[in-house]
Amino acid sequence: MSARYGMVIDVDRCTGCGACMMACAAENNVPALPQATARTGLTPLLVRKVSNGNNGETRREAFIPIMCMHCEHDTPCVKVCPQQAVEVDEATGIVMQMAQRCLGCRYCMTACPYHARYFNWWDPAWPPGMEKSLNPGVAVRMRGVVEKCNLCHARLHSAKEKAAVAGKREIDPADYVPACVEACSTNAIHFGDLGDANDPVSKEAHSPQAFRLLARLGTEPKLYYKSNEAWVRALAEPNSPQASEVQRG
Amino acid sequence: MKVTRRDLLVWSAGAAAGLLATPVPWKVLDDVSIWSQNWPWIPQPTRGPVEVKQSFCTLCPKACGLRVRMANGWAVGVAGSSTHPISRGALCPLAFAAHQLNWHPQRLRNVRHGSSLSTWAEAQSAFAKASKEGPVVVIDGYSGRAASSVLETFAGKQGGSYRVVATPELRAFTPYEQWTGIPAASLGYDFENARTIVSFGAPLLDGWGTPGRLTRLWAESGAGLSDPQLRLIQIDSSLSRTAARAWQWIEIREGSESALASGLAGALLEQNLVPAHSPVPSMTLAESSAQAGLSVERIRELARLVVAKTPALVVARDDDPAIAALNVLLGSLGNRGGIVPHSEGVKPYVAAESAIGNARAVLIDASVPWEFVPQVEAEIFRFAAWDGGATKADWLLPAPGFLEDLTDLPTAPGCSAQTYGVAPALVKATIEVQSAAQFLCSLDASLPTTAKIIDSRCEDLFRRREGNLYGQQIAAIDKVSSVQSFKEQLWKGAVWAGEASLSKAFACHLKEWPAQTRPVSAETWATQWKPVVMPPLASKLYQESGLREPPRRNA
Repeated sequence: MSARYGMVIDVDRCTGCGACMMACAAENNVPALPQATARTGLTPLLVRKVSNGNNGETRREAFIPIMCMHCEHDTPCVKVCPQQAVEVDEATGIVMQMAQRCLGCRYCMTACPYHARYFNWWDPAWPPGMEKSLNPGVAVRMRGVVEKCNLCHARLHSAKEKAAVAGKREIDPADYVPACVEACSTNAIHFGDLGDANDPVSKEAHSPQAFRLLARLGTEPKLYYKSNEAWVRALAEPNSPQASEVQRG
Repeated sequence: MKVTRRDLLVWSAGAAAGLLATPVPWKVLDDVSIWSQNWPWIPQPTRGPVEVKQSFCTLCPKACGLRVRMANGWAVGVAGSSTHPISRGALCPLAFAAHQLNWHPQRLRNVRHGSSLSTWAEAQSAFAKASKEGPVVVIDGYSGRAASSVLETFAGKQGGSYRVVATPELRAFTPYEQWTGIPAASLGYDFENARTIVSFGAPLLDGWGTPGRLTRLWAESGAGLSDPQLRLIQIDSSLSRTAARAWQWIEIREGSESALASGLAGALLEQNLVPAHSPVPSMTLAESSAQAGLSVERIRELARLVVAKTPALVVARDDDPAIAALNVLLGSLGNRGGIVPHSEGVKPYVAAESAIGNARAVLIDASVPWEFVPQVEAEIFRFAAWDGGATKADWLLPAPGFLEDLTDLPTAPGCSAQTYGVAPALVKATIEVQSAAQFLCSLDASLPTTAKIIDSRCEDLFRRREGNLYGQQIAAIDKVSSVQSFKEQLWKGAVWAGEASLSKAFACHLKEWPAQTRPVSAETWATQWKPVVMPPLASKLYQESGLREPPRRNA
């Protein structure tokens, strides 16, 4: 199996409902700790609100889901990890985070240009009994380790198992869909193999409306965004006047 | 050599200082930290074979289709069911963590009488006594279910009354009920054939109606295009989430929706954009302009925009008759892309907000929103799965939580086609719970049970031989071999859907333009989006992302 899994997010379709965030957190057994704040909470997928900076009826707002960009080239978090707890899976292109190896030094969090990594400041905890509702396919991460989006790797495992049982080497693409993609009510998040020129996602990634955040860093993120609106595309360039108007929340 | 006390102290201090120079204390500290990461009380997921069951979301009357992942008898994941013809695989954000709600810290776990704990037996005897002494008002928040039928039958037999707390989507149809005689619960929007949708503050892309129906339609035919196939015009006083993504946002003053509707009607008539025999609003364009904060020319331009691409459909946030009257003007009643009837035999509901009169007791079903408080001096028996805080109820009775009770799901408000589904109890309740219908059935054995009513409804539907069954595959009902097979498929999460009546013209008796109603509250229900309890994940994520902060208002 060889793939380069990635996404194209159609910003024009995103209504900022947050269903992707919720599905991601539920799928990955993210605890809802009351002591967590916007700085210390775990949000492997975070929807941010941006605007064109105008006032009145010409003001436009859009929502941009931010998660691990699964950088392909000189992956910053991989380069700084002293524990080899982060690696790019050559078979899938997924940037993997192995909690068991993580030392908790947080170099990777500092190195990530997208602020898409989160630290487990506390022991994972749920209200009494709620552990029965946790996803059995995903291990709970311990205090003191970093975590991030791994493109719902547990679902990839299930798809591989299913293919193996059927005697196949390749998985059925329909069997591996990350939780955020499945949850999006406007089909704004498209997932596929960027390495396959015939994959619709690969074609979309090469459309003139597609862009990547901080592409100038040369880390070749595998998360693309797409918009027909020029002011949204301009946000990818941090020096643009529109980008300075980016507001969170 | 004699070892003195002083020597011991010196050696101990030296040993302690020396130990610090070795890796031992640091290694012990590190190991303790690592061991304690995985101490036995750290929660671990339930292990066991995972199976997927089809069902429906029962958190609100929108009845979205669900795929529920189950392990060891517990729901461990929720996703949308793509086979559902209305929700089409989409869910609202809350539903993705709804399976955690049954363990919410605010789960109502005991019968409460006033501020003290009580028992089911005491509650039953108190209710039996009250129902002998005088009329009982039964209040439902999700009408049309089999359980609703039990509640209504009880109220009828007892000499009381049955009331409904309608959703804003359902309330928006009440003006049409008055003008056409067709019950509000029988009407729906034919969004699929509309080309222009004008929303007066209704958060169409923000959980309004069945999530997924309009959002998917908008995404497929309207999102981000300069000249989309489906034009969404949002009239809103703030840049709500729907306004932010709409094709056009028309900014008006707070509470001036009704005035703008009158002005828009005047502009449509003035420019001969609609038939001249329509009722004429008494408010002039200039008055409307002054109230809404839009120029007269802007209102005229908006009128031209509304009819530029037809069919055009106007959606109100609530039951504002002036906004509803625009649909009469535009000829959207009973036509493709407008407001269409979807089912027959539905009775008009009596709103719970109307005067209750004399009542000895009020029984409130768990489907009624927590903030509803009956304005009557009577003994209140309130069923609820979660405790929403201070309440006027005398009795609080724990009701089944998410997927803990058998229920059926009638057509969701706003749908253009009739639907029916059955959601069996997939998970067992860990506490002693009863629904209001079960409670009444235990008091009066002559009442039909929910299961019996569902069974007979399934048989009636099968006998009609209309519509399709959406399960693993889509099958016309006349291809289903037997009523037993039909029932089995429904109980496994299939949904029956009838055909939409897209061109069933009906008489409308709107002779005069409705008087201007009270200004709509500035607090929209998008900003007031507060269910009685939120899944802990939802509270956390919305706090950390700021996504549910109130929309921006311009100065």
